[in-house]
Amino acid sequence: MNPAATAHLSGDSEADERQLAAALARCASGDKTALRVIYDAEAARMTGVAFRILRRRDLAEEATQDAFVRIWRSAGSFDAARGSARGWLYAVLRNRALTILRDEGRFDSTEDLDAAAIDEPVVERLPESSALRRCLEALDAKYRSAIVFSYVHGLSHGELAGRLKVPLGTAKSWTRRGMLSLQECMG
Amino acid sequence: MTTRDEQPNDKRTLAADFVLGVLDAESQSRAEALMANDTDFAAEVERWRTRLADLDAGATPMAPDPSVWSRIEAAIATAPAVATAPPRPSLWHSLSAWRAIGLIGSAAALLFAVAFGVALREAQRTPAMIAVLVDGDKAGAVVHVFNDGRAVLLPLTDIAVPPDRALQVWTLPSRERGPVSIGLMEQARTLSLALKDLPTPRNDQLFEITLEPKGGSPTGRPTGPILFKGLTSPTL
Repeated sequence: MNPAATAHLSGDSEADERQLAAALARCASGDKTALRVIYDAEAARMTGVAFRILRRRDLAEEATQDAFVRIWRSAGSFDAARGSARGWLYAVLRNRALTILRDEGRFDSTEDLDAAAIDEPVVERLPESSALRRCLEALDAKYRSAIVFSYVHGLSHGELAGRLKVPLGTAKSWTRRGMLSLQECMG
Repeated sequence: MTTRDEQPNDKRTLAADFVLGVLDAESQSRAEALMANDTDFAAEVERWRTRLADLDAGATPMAPDPSVWSRIEAAIATAPAVATAPPRPSLWHSLSAWRAIGLIGSAAALLFAVAFGVALREAQRTPAMIAVLVDGDKAGAVVHVFNDGRAVLLPLTDIAVPPDRALQVWTLPSRERGPVSIGLMEQARTLSLALKDLPTPRNDQLFEITLEPKGGSPTGRPTGPILFKGLTSPTL
């Protein structure tokens, strides 16, 4: 593998985005070193995202593995004109993680959520400059919790209701209102 | 594509819930089909992904075990070439492949014509609605729905079916009712669909093909992987 192919991406988000989009285009033409570029740049972060959803390292790694196989096979369907490469990659990863999470029988239903893992300060760790952080912090706490538990930890509406100790309809309505407020705030 | 009876609010909520990851299996299927067919919906989804992206960027990195990459390499070594799929759903491409199958030889062509006779008669009429069932960018079949309520499925590609499995066709007349089986076949072929006891299909009604045990799903609901899916659109 050539050194350039394994170099980490720069941290400059626009340059990274261009590199990821270019790497996806190379994957679509059958260049496996391009998949490795994406892996080196994003696999650790992706596994971290999957871990917050699945709360087990082995399952998080399985989600990452599934995601990269799917990224390879579907790279041709990524269209840079329609969206961001990073957004596409994480959508694939999140889809795999949620599929594993919702795969009944994979989890013991009595297994309780690890409260410590789920109470990590997700919003506080976003950069100060993040519009998402500013808008989440401006939200009513219950709406913010609904969004963070759903998106970051993969809770279903039902699980969210249990976690927040409210009826299912309330959990759904908090999520919906939170998303509407977020949309208004972020434009 | 914009249709008169679509519900923008409903789709906006669906897009938000899709990105949030809180959809049940049926709504998830509908959202995935809309992603392939509805550019407005896909754009709404993209806006939500962008808004929420910082939450993923803020996750603590967790370097995967080196064996993860080895397994990825092994998986992509045995499953090549799918990556060269065209960037957009190409019905034309699939149709030419489909025609090529029919031209292999006169005997095959005759068999083809007999097996497809019902469909050919149906095809002479203009369908009121069409659904193109896709897997990502690959078109697998089309469903034609006619004004008299009859419907037919036409495969556009060969579908590998293990000996102990079958292909089952489903539609989702309403979320309350859930998916209803409308056809079963051991291999991809033209199939009349049992729609007559169901309400007339709406715009954006989901049709899908799943892989099920031979004889059909034992539960009456889809249990196997979705191979192809799509939503109805009215013809002009």
